[in-house]
Amino acid sequence: MVSIKKVGEIESAPLELLGEPLVWFFAEHYRHRDLCKRLLQLIDVVEFDRNALNAILEFLECDLPIHILDEEDDLFPLMRKRCEPNDHIENVLGFLSGEHATDMHDASAVKCVIAKAISEKRGLGCYSESRSVIEQFCTGLKGHIAVENAVVLPVARVRLTETDLRNLGRRLAARRGLPDPFPEAS
Amino acid sequence: MIDTLIRNNMAWARARMRAESPFFMRLSEQQATEYLWIGCSASQVPANEVVGLDPGELFVHRNMENLAPSRDVNFLSVLQCPLKVLKVGHSIVCGHYGCGGVRAALDSDRRGLIDYWLQPVADLAHRCAERLDAITDFTTKVNDTCQQNMRAQVEYVGRNRFVFDAWCRWQTLAIHGWIYPIRDGLIRNLDLTVEKARDVETLARRSWCPDG
Repeated sequence: MVSIKKVGEIESAPLELLGEPLVWFFAEHYRHRDLCKRLLQLIDVVEFDRNALNAILEFLECDLPIHILDEEDDLFPLMRKRCEPNDHIENVLGFLSGEHATDMHDASAVKCVIAKAISEKRGLGCYSESRSVIEQFCTGLKGHIAVENAVVLPVARVRLTETDLRNLGRRLAARRGLPDPFPEAS
Repeated sequence: MIDTLIRNNMAWARARMRAESPFFMRLSEQQATEYLWIGCSASQVPANEVVGLDPGELFVHRNMENLAPSRDVNFLSVLQCPLKVLKVGHSIVCGHYGCGGVRAALDSDRRGLIDYWLQPVADLAHRCAERLDAITDFTTKVNDTCQQNMRAQVEYVGRNRFVFDAWCRWQTLAIHGWIYPIRDGLIRNLDLTVEKARDVETLARRSWCPDG
């Protein structure tokens, strides 16, 4: 039996980073890695920790889908618009879109087991399926975050214009109901 | 239950008057809009609200699937008035992802009269069959068709005689193709804008990339 090591809240990305949207994406990816770390820590824990499980569930239900929208609806279209044929970005983006669909599918399985644990007031270690669904989700998520950090974001840094980045930051903020990060610019 | 709407109306009128006391007087005196909106009838896409415009600021035509059919007297009348009388500078064709009409056009179910209205989109899907067959997920297929439909409708509006005549009169008129994701409310400009007859031909020849 593994007892729970109490973990704090999943840190929010600093809102001022919306003014530098590509840095925001790096920060969000860091949060996703943090989420995976927490999930993997909880795999064998049988003790019930409502706060930890609720925080992860909320992240999977809100933060993850919004982040995927950020990429699918805003970042990737901008990349398609600005990249040169030599960047060969389409194959990478196509691959990542497939990965996003898989992430959402795998996240559903993780949410199910967490919801069950919360309703039965038990730790994830009490369920035989926890390990497989969590490991599958975390492996997939971490794998494609690595591709995004290593390929997509560096190319975006070169190709996206200042106006693109400003509009991107504005859309990321609007999607979260946050104020315009560039109020002074038109 | 229906009385709620009348009460809501009173509350709305009161709030408008508090915010700007001559609001309705001003509204009744003139209609000076710069924009024509051609959108879907879907209740989730309230035209004025999603672009933050007040009553009087947007001339609106809505139908199932935001079509611009050149044989629909309703559509043609709505198009003629803002072009000839109000002299709008922008016409926005705005669809939305997950459109129920597009979804219906793509499946094989029979629904009666509505099938005839949806036929142009079914035909469009047929013309794009190779592309659509490669998409396995039905929702993605629907969304892709929604985007294809935007391009088709911008072209139809651009080829309409009223629009052509406006351009011949040197009237400034841009036609835009936008799409609205209901899931986050953030409109996407599909970069389909045409401002003259030649642009329509260029758009028709352009290889399709919804994002530019």
